[in-house]
Amino acid sequence: MVVGDVSTGTDVAIIGAGPGGYVAAIRAGQLGLDVTLIEKDAYGGTCLNVGCIPSKALITAADRAYEAATSEHMGIYADVSVEMSEMVGWKDGVVDQLTSGVEKLCKANGVNLLEGRAEFVNDSRLRVVHGGEGQGSENVDFEHAVIATGSRPVQIPNFEFDGEHVLDSTAVLDLDHIPDSLVIVGGGYIGMELSTVLAKLGCDVTVVEMLDDILPGYSSDLERPVKKRAEALGVSFQFGESAANWEEVGEGVLVTTDSEDGSGGRYEADAVVVAVGRQPVLDTLNLEAVGLKPNDQGRLDTDHQGRTDVDSIFAIGDVAPGPMLAHKASKEGQVVAEVLAGEPAAMDYQAVPAAVFTDPEIATVGMTEEEAEEAGFTPAVGKFPFNASGRALTTGHSDGFVQVVADEDSGFILGAQIVGPEASELIAELALAVEMGATLEDVAATIHTHPTLSEATMEATEHALGHAIHTLNR
Amino acid sequence: MPTDFKLPDVGEGVAEGELVKWLVAEGDTVEEDQPVAEVETDKAVVDVPSPYDGTVATLHWDEGDIVPVGDVFITYNVAGEDAEAESGGEPGGAEAGGSAADAGGAEGREKPESTDAAEPEAAAEKAAVSETAGRTFAPPSVRRLARELDVDIEVVDGTGPSGRVTEADVRRHAEGGEASAGEAGGEAGAAEAAVTKVTEEADETADAGGAAQAAGAGTGAPAKAAEREQTLAAPATRKTADDLGVDLNAVPAVEERDGEAFVTEDAVREYAEAKEAKAADVEARPETPAEGERETTVPYRGVRRTIATKMAESKYTAPHVTHHDTTAIPDLVDVRSRLKAKAEERGVKLTYMPFVLKAIVAALKDHPELNAELREDEEVIVQKHYYNIGIAVATDAGLMVPVVKNVDQKGMLELAQEVNELAQKARDRTISVEEMQGGTFTVTNFGAIGGEYATPIINYPEVGILGLGAIEERPVVEDGEVVARPTLPISVSIDHRVVDGSDVAQFGNEVLEYLNNPELLLLE
Amino acid sequence: MGENLTLVQAVRDGLHDAMATDDEVIVMGEDVGKNGGVFRATEGLYDEYGEDRVIDTPLAESGIIGSAVGMAAYGLKPVPEIQFSGFMYPGFDQIVSHMARMRTRSRGRYTLPMVLRAPYGGGIRAPEHHSESKEAFYAHEAGLKVVIPSTPHDTKGLLTAAINDPDPVIFLEPKKIYRAFREEVPDESYEIPLGEAATRREGSDISVFCWGAMTRPTLEAAENLEGEIDVEVVDLRTLSPIDKDGIIESFKKTGRAAVVHEAPRQGGLAGEITALIQEEALLYQEAPVKRITGFDVPFPLYALEDYYLPEPARIEDGIRETMEF
Repeated sequence: MVVGDVSTGTDVAIIGAGPGGYVAAIRAGQLGLDVTLIEKDAYGGTCLNVGCIPSKALITAADRAYEAATSEHMGIYADVSVEMSEMVGWKDGVVDQLTSGVEKLCKANGVNLLEGRAEFVNDSRLRVVHGGEGQGSENVDFEHAVIATGSRPVQIPNFEFDGEHVLDSTAVLDLDHIPDSLVIVGGGYIGMELSTVLAKLGCDVTVVEMLDDILPGYSSDLERPVKKRAEALGVSFQFGESAANWEEVGEGVLVTTDSEDGSGGRYEADAVVVAVGRQPVLDTLNLEAVGLKPNDQGRLDTDHQGRTDVDSIFAIGDVAPGPMLAHKASKEGQVVAEVLAGEPAAMDYQAVPAAVFTDPEIATVGMTEEEAEEAGFTPAVGKFPFNASGRALTTGHSDGFVQVVADEDSGFILGAQIVGPEASELIAELALAVEMGATLEDVAATIHTHPTLSEATMEATEHALGHAIHTLNR
Repeated sequence: MPTDFKLPDVGEGVAEGELVKWLVAEGDTVEEDQPVAEVETDKAVVDVPSPYDGTVATLHWDEGDIVPVGDVFITYNVAGEDAEAESGGEPGGAEAGGSAADAGGAEGREKPESTDAAEPEAAAEKAAVSETAGRTFAPPSVRRLARELDVDIEVVDGTGPSGRVTEADVRRHAEGGEASAGEAGGEAGAAEAAVTKVTEEADETADAGGAAQAAGAGTGAPAKAAEREQTLAAPATRKTADDLGVDLNAVPAVEERDGEAFVTEDAVREYAEAKEAKAADVEARPETPAEGERETTVPYRGVRRTIATKMAESKYTAPHVTHHDTTAIPDLVDVRSRLKAKAEERGVKLTYMPFVLKAIVAALKDHPELNAELREDEEVIVQKHYYNIGIAVATDAGLMVPVVKNVDQKGMLELAQEVNELAQKARDRTISVEEMQGGTFTVTNFGAIGGEYATPIINYPEVGILGLGAIEERPVVEDGEVVARPTLPISVSIDHRVVDGSDVAQFGNEVLEYLNNPELLLLE
Repeated sequence: MGENLTLVQAVRDGLHDAMATDDEVIVMGEDVGKNGGVFRATEGLYDEYGEDRVIDTPLAESGIIGSAVGMAAYGLKPVPEIQFSGFMYPGFDQIVSHMARMRTRSRGRYTLPMVLRAPYGGGIRAPEHHSESKEAFYAHEAGLKVVIPSTPHDTKGLLTAAINDPDPVIFLEPKKIYRAFREEVPDESYEIPLGEAATRREGSDISVFCWGAMTRPTLEAAENLEGEIDVEVVDLRTLSPIDKDGIIESFKKTGRAAVVHEAPRQGGLAGEITALIQEEALLYQEAPVKRITGFDVPFPLYALEDYYLPEPARIEDGIRETMEF
């Protein structure tokens, strides 16, 4: 632009092209709205680029390497070596395929793509600052805006990410070699997934966790198999300790920790990974210009349609309340797109499933037994152990169980918890049951293919009904 | 179903009328076209007929009131429709129905909860599950349907297994709400008991049949005095209309330009005056002076004022010259008395007026300049070849001038009859507007009361008026002797812009010649 | 079938289609070739049609216009661009002395099938000279046609018609709304006749005449007044020859009018429209014609731009005033 400032007008300006933003954009485009999708880094956001996808790619690759190297009991003898940079290269290929897929889908649905960082000028105008050798900045005038800027890793004091000694999850996914040892601060799902991957690739991992157990939020019988397995893989756990500081020691680091009893710990490793949580990205948007501010949890308050306190502005995904999960963001993106197109959509899902891709995997949906009781139901619980599952035994992975929680009187399935092989896939059936208001009988009466892990689901419901076949009923 | 009836336009360009008399009472049964009231406008009293068969529900005005055209006049209960008012017992139903799509939005969603709770079939009872946990079990597609139909799924009774809510349940709930809305809407008084929004919905969901309209909304098309939507006029004319408070579209238009009605400034002014005249017509009644009062205030309105305006206009526009003359009429007296009996046999009262009329017409034929009209803006004097003679009549309400049309074409008895009738109608106030329009010359018989000569004021826009003095025995000179003879003095005023003194003198001579020698009329 | 395009994309699309259909069409101006136009109006044309048909000129408006006049007299169909309409002034002599007169001068032997394009109007926070709105200068010169579109769809159609017109057309593009909204624009070539207004919104109380970037705020004002005043909005599209019949037809229906233009008031085309109305339809007139325009000052620096340009609130006030007369 030589002189002057020609604004671009649009119906819907979506800030952030992650699983929330790009889904909202595509849906809105399908519904005939004029959409402008603004992204400052890469299409697909954290999930596609430095989150879900790359981590699962590496988990799969690491698994494959590990399995190959440890299947002598099946009569398989292999000498496995891993070239990390190639593994990462393959992972990058997968990521590229998906992100360019996102771009193509957006364009095919008439979405206008704009690269840059957006901030609010007022409740109907954004300023988009172009990065790199772009041309300064431009205005985007919108009827509605959707904030889908996602989250970033939390940085703890004294542990600024430098990409070399102090790593965040993004850096771990880009390692060009397998470190000999790592300290991982944080025993939540990211810390556990990373520690499992790295341990399987031969790294000596120490997990430092402030609380006294891994995976807070998951019941002990769910995380027990995971912890056991991790320990068997060589991961050592330091509970009740919080990372205090670090210093360079030779090529690596020395991490010092504090504990309640005052003793504290000292751990040496090649590097330290901090994976204590993620925080919503709201500070780059100049929200003051529209009178919005984050609530106590750091999110923007929204109604059941995703609308913030400002009528023309919506928020979805990690910046909105609720679990920080990609599929929740996508659902919200769809709902907001439909709302903007005038449809009577709303976030009225009954439950959001969640999965942890550790070994074994954990997956949950809906209510636990305690939650069902608190809600006033009389819970009926059914549980089927994988060691009673024919298929599980054939995979060599039979730790874990499928547990179903239902209302005793009506039989409505209220929730499920699974730990074991393919838990992340198996949970889908039960998520459907919860959403549909299916009863135990509905699932129990459905024929499940044999031999599959899904039979465990069927048997768990039968167990709740008191007539499981392949396990003892109470 | 109560139906409002608004006062229609009862005469050309009239904006209001005085309710003289009700011809029905509340509760009476009426037939279509039956007169229900007498309304007076512009000195004419008209009957207002009923447009419906039915009963009279409410008479909205009292006798003597001035009713603006377009105002609600009577409310009828039209035959064949339910006249009951209903207390809105089902307002909740209307809301929950929601198929009237306007009910959408937060209101539509919230209300069903509260009102349905009041209904005997509150959602809570059915499934113990729902009640215990406050949670409704329904598949996503059913939840979406509920949102689309604006049904709060939390209150829908589920008939699926264990009380699960099915698609049919949601649809049934949506329709169930509609049915009750239909009932509420169909009954007149829904407007009273329910919230306004419900009324609007009830209107929309209820079937047509006039019900919706009558639910108090009263949205009927506004009635205008002269029904035009567009009138052309010069900007200056528009200003005049504005200043005088006149609606241009109500002014009677006699011209067209470019295919549309066009009014002149004069037309606007005339209409304005006519309006004013009606404004307080009958209010001009003198009050009985209280004992000892030194002054009596009489309203200067209505007919009095109309007369005043017209007199002023005439006198100040036309330079009046009055020509006085007299003649002895012994022969006329003779003829009349001989014919009087014959006329009576035919039921006609024969006065001198028919003779006078005939004499005037005969003279006018020779002096067309006196049977004319000056149209200044067109710069023409229009001499008329038809003879409509106005007869001034004194009535309680004031001076009125019924017009006898085409005098030259009517016989004596016919004229006598017509004159008598018109005069009576004028006095009765039963005369119509048309009967007082279209005159080309006027006669005023002040002599009937008394007096010899006068200076009558021309009935504008005519150019001449002939006043008759009292017929009395007066001294005349015959063959050098003074004798007593019946004489008839005449006073003819003319508009000197159009008529010269010589014209009127000759005219006068001619009239008197006919009156003096009535047998000459046989030659006409 | 069509794509959703912005107004400036529609210019480009129209130029592209014209150049594809007719070899005689030449595009010329500053930065139009390799750069693709400072507003991207000519993007990609250089690559497709080459330097012989997409000419980067020196910074010389008089030369640009004069050369185009010569080319057009010769038989080509030049579409010269002046980068901002405020820069047409150095070429004003070429416009009024030659562009407008060639047909008359040559008794019809030479006509100039050229279209002089320029982004015009304010609203983009530009410095001096970049926000001019002087369509009245060109409407006053007989021999010139003046066209101002207000939507992407109209832009392509009017531009195509202008290029195909044997006489010179000044095509002013409202740059404020170059990218303000998208609209479906047919892929194929089509013409919208010059000299025809478009009724954007039907109404019966008042006719509001507008063009260019003023059409959207006028429609917004009309929407805001819905229920209170029934506003008819007529987008004139061509200012010369102006659609007199269209104006009068609308006015006869409503009897009241307002004209909205961002150009200054004095000597602005609102005066011309008012004169036409009172000449042809005086008896229908119920109120003076309200002129809602820019002010009689040089276009201000951009801090005051929003006060200068008519916006919905000012337009609504003007309409109300006219109704209440």
